[in-house]
Amino acid sequence: MRRIKSIPAKGLKTPAGTTARTFILTFFSVLFSTAMAVRRFPKPEFETNYIQPSTQIPVPRAELLAYLDVFVLLVSLSIVTWLILKKRSRLWVFAMSVFSLAYFGFYREGCVCSIGAIQNVSLALFDNTFVLPLSVLLFFILPLVFTAFFGRTFCAAVCPFGAMQDFFAFKPQALSSRLNTVLGILPYLYLGLAVLFAATGTDFIICRYDPFVGIFRFNASFGMFLFSGILLLSGVFIARPYCRFLCPYGVLLNWTSRFSRRHLTITPKECIQCRLCEHSCPYDAIEVPVTSKSPESRPVRVRKMMILTVFVPFIVLVFGYAGSRMQDTLAGVDSRVKLAKEVMALSGKQDAGYGMQDAGYKMQDDSYEIKAYKASGKTESQVYSEASAVVKKFYIGGWLFGGFIGLAIALMIGGRIMPVYRTDYVTSKGRCFSCLRCVDYCPVKS
Amino acid sequence: MPNRREFLNTLMRGGILAALGLLSVSLVLRSRDKNSCSNGFACSSCGKSQGCSLPAALEARQTVWQLDPSKCIQCGRCATNCVMTPSAVKCTHAYAMCGYCDLCGGYLKPGTKTLDTAAEHQLCPTNALKRKFIEDPFFEYTVDEQLCIGCGKCVKGCSAFGNGSLQLQVRHDRCKNCNECSIARSCPSQAFSRVPANKPSLLKSFGKESLEEAGRKGELNA
Amino acid sequence: MKQKIFIITGLVLLVGVIAIMLADLFSSKKADKANPYDYKMGELRKTDITCNGYIEQLTIKPALEEIHAVACGSGDRIYVAGKNGLEIYQVNGKPDGNFRFEGVASCMALDKKGRIFIGMQDHVEVFDQLGKPCNKWKSISTESLLTCIALTDSYVYLADAGKKIVYRYDMNGRLINRIGEKDPQKNVPGFIIPSPYFDLGIGKKGELWVANTGRHSLEQFSSDGALNSAWGEASMSADGFCGCCNPSHFAFLSDGSFVTSEKGIERVKIYSPQGKYVCMVAPPSAFVEGTKGLDLAVDSKDRIIVLDPEKKQVRIFVKK
Ligand code: SF4
Ligand code: SF4
Ligand code: SF4
Ligand code: SF4
Repeated sequence: MRRIKSIPAKGLKTPAGTTARTFILTFFSVLFSTAMAVRRFPKPEFETNYIQPSTQIPVPRAELLAYLDVFVLLVSLSIVTWLILKKRSRLWVFAMSVFSLAYFGFYREGCVCSIGAIQNVSLALFDNTFVLPLSVLLFFILPLVFTAFFGRTFCAAVCPFGAMQDFFAFKPQALSSRLNTVLGILPYLYLGLAVLFAATGTDFIICRYDPFVGIFRFNASFGMFLFSGILLLSGVFIARPYCRFLCPYGVLLNWTSRFSRRHLTITPKECIQCRLCEHSCPYDAIEVPVTSKSPESRPVRVRKMMILTVFVPFIVLVFGYAGSRMQDTLAGVDSRVKLAKEVMALSGKQDAGYGMQDAGYKMQDDSYEIKAYKASGKTESQVYSEASAVVKKFYIGGWLFGGFIGLAIALMIGGRIMPVYRTDYVTSKGRCFSCLRCVDYCPVKS
Repeated sequence: MPNRREFLNTLMRGGILAALGLLSVSLVLRSRDKNSCSNGFACSSCGKSQGCSLPAALEARQTVWQLDPSKCIQCGRCATNCVMTPSAVKCTHAYAMCGYCDLCGGYLKPGTKTLDTAAEHQLCPTNALKRKFIEDPFFEYTVDEQLCIGCGKCVKGCSAFGNGSLQLQVRHDRCKNCNECSIARSCPSQAFSRVPANKPSLLKSFGKESLEEAGRKGELNA
Repeated sequence: MKQKIFIITGLVLLVGVIAIMLADLFSSKKADKANPYDYKMGELRKTDITCNGYIEQLTIKPALEEIHAVACGSGDRIYVAGKNGLEIYQVNGKPDGNFRFEGVASCMALDKKGRIFIGMQDHVEVFDQLGKPCNKWKSISTESLLTCIALTDSYVYLADAGKKIVYRYDMNGRLINRIGEKDPQKNVPGFIIPSPYFDLGIGKKGELWVANTGRHSLEQFSSDGALNSAWGEASMSADGFCGCCNPSHFAFLSDGSFVTSEKGIERVKIYSPQGKYVCMVAPPSAFVEGTKGLDLAVDSKDRIIVLDPEKKQVRIFVKK
């Protein structure tokens, strides 16, 4: 594509920070270079020396800037990780979260974020016509790689969603461990649905229900603002509600972080059991010591283990079956299936034969979906076969989705019944956001 | 005991990292196979079998949202469903297709016989379409993008009664390039798709072939 | 106590958020809110059904990939031409032969000997009844877009929407003169052809009529290019031609009346030889919205043959 001149688009508002976009593509020149290729109908012959204006097509934000975003992500991840593990300074971490909120939130206006990138990656895996931009792939991968080594430093101060909610945690309340576990299932459901809908090409539900993007852009419908407002309000009492009980990326980070190599510790040296940090974590991510008097005997442990080995596959299968039974409900979200339903309703009513007169009048009452279907020239059977292909995908998808949820629940139950012993106050590597609040409470300094 | 635990940890970590690596490699390489571009970065639109410079290839891999005017049925959702108010979709005038008609189907309300520019005779709800006399009997029509809300009313009039030179397009100086365009989600005619960022327009011209198709065949690079 | 209230408040709000999401995702309500910016084309299309004096008698479904031109030959046989080929039908709609050629036929006419003249974008090709090429004229210009061809006993008239001009050729493809160039002295206003629809026809007395679509009129020229008369006016209602540029096609009944077709508001109508609106043959509701290029032909029994490129049908209308 030719970039003709570097004149700014006249009359077009150029948003701040987008001066690199002021190239203009000229439709006119394109048209002439293809004059042979397309059947072109000549413009009127003007007698005055009127010069036909060229159609201006503003060029998108220079896409190499997307790689700048990746670079900023990499640098801020590194800085935050260093601040957490070496400097151990809550204040600096806080400062970084302000930066991230400003850059990834208000300047980059949310898109693309690591959370949403889950869907791009899933879609790319299942639809090979979809080209995954490298920047999106890196947004997905980089935080996970850092987490595998250093814990969820991404959540601490790089993710703009986390930063946003962190500021609102005014009166965090401790939830019981049971409540934490039960609500902890929600992110698995969200992740499962998000991947399912993305992989089937139905929708990107993480983006659809993105609670903060409207705020980042200062531009949202009233409903969206209300939605964000409610979530932030609940975050006043339940700190970081999205991160803990919704965020699908959090599931991946949680499991990666459990195996991290060098996770933040509350105390730089030995824990002295002073209990000062016990209530310092707004996210209930501090594990208190469990010093059971009578450790379970080996046979008991083995028996529990054996019960679990039978129980886990059973639960997975049961949930998988339940998921496959939800095929219709899940597929009903897809617009292709919705269309097929409408077309069916429509054809059910219509008489065969000429009838065009009537049909012509009915068209006014039709939905736009039906109008578009009529205009597209698709046949009825084409619509049905497209829809049935989608429904089939949801049958398999339903099994996988259900099985995944079953596995999550089984592991959670397993985690609760298997015995734990610990003598010190430690962070839960999976759930800790490395925010450093607890560190300030620890009297032991290095 | 701690040693065994640590070993398991390392093993799992290694597994996770390997999985991530495999995922990235397969996603990057698969595009290479499909598009036979020597740089290995899919430029779905280019059609050239030769490679291009790395920056160009990287850029071509990025995508933006665009709507295909030949599928659009002007349902009005482009005006109402964009995350931006007013919408990032605007009417774009392909002058080269315009007949410069006196009785412009996109400009005048149907049934208007008196050809004055009084607001009540204009089809556009925001009077964003401007009419300028060129010479008898030709008039030039321009879209004032500050006013246009992308409702598509003029587009419908123009495609029904005129040449279809007025077309809706996502204007990328306003578009936020949402990960999933919220208009795409509700567009009844599935007119929205991700297009390569270096070919962001799908304006149609005369004939069945769109410019985009011509571009895919490589004619634009001639 | 206070703590409990806080937790419950937080939880209720959180559950509320989740409920909103689920309800929105799985609700089956249609997204189709009324469009506040709707262009109510339906109102325009609804008009004039009362004067419908014709019914559709026969529908032919050609197998061609695209159809663009229809003509009527000897024995009232129907010729349909389009992309890469031509099909012939008997008066009752039975197939009666076909042949293929390279290119997209945009218009067609038959001479007394049964030779078929086909206009293809920028040139004319002549075939015999079996599809044997007889002649291929050379390209007029790269900007040409032939949209109509009509024959008298000794001349070929071509309408070129690209150059916005009418040519008179002899039977062998030699240009004789150009008709309709803007000429204030001769009082010829010139053709305004804003869209690629530009039709002409030979009236019952052998006179040349041209559709000056941008002026919404039919103009009658003598063969040397003098403008003799014109009629027509712009109107969305049935008595005039709608939109920016119409009629897109026209043909003649045996009494010299005009049959016209329009795009925008798709309709086929009859006008008296003096240009007075008579009646509606096919109302907008008979066509798919957005249909363009309704080519027309009339056979010896005054059946009106309409080519519907959108439905890919040849539709024959007769008086009730
Ligand atoms: S760093 Fe401490 S306070 Fe912060 S989330 Fe982790 S355990 Fe909780
Ligand atoms: S939503 Fe789709 S059909 Fe509706 S106006 Fe936009 S592009 Fe056209
Ligand atoms: S009618 Fe709608 S789309 Fe057309 S210029 Fe006006 S606001 Fe824009
Ligand atoms: S991508 Fe976002 S900003 Fe752009 S047109 Fe779609 S909804 Fe509007």
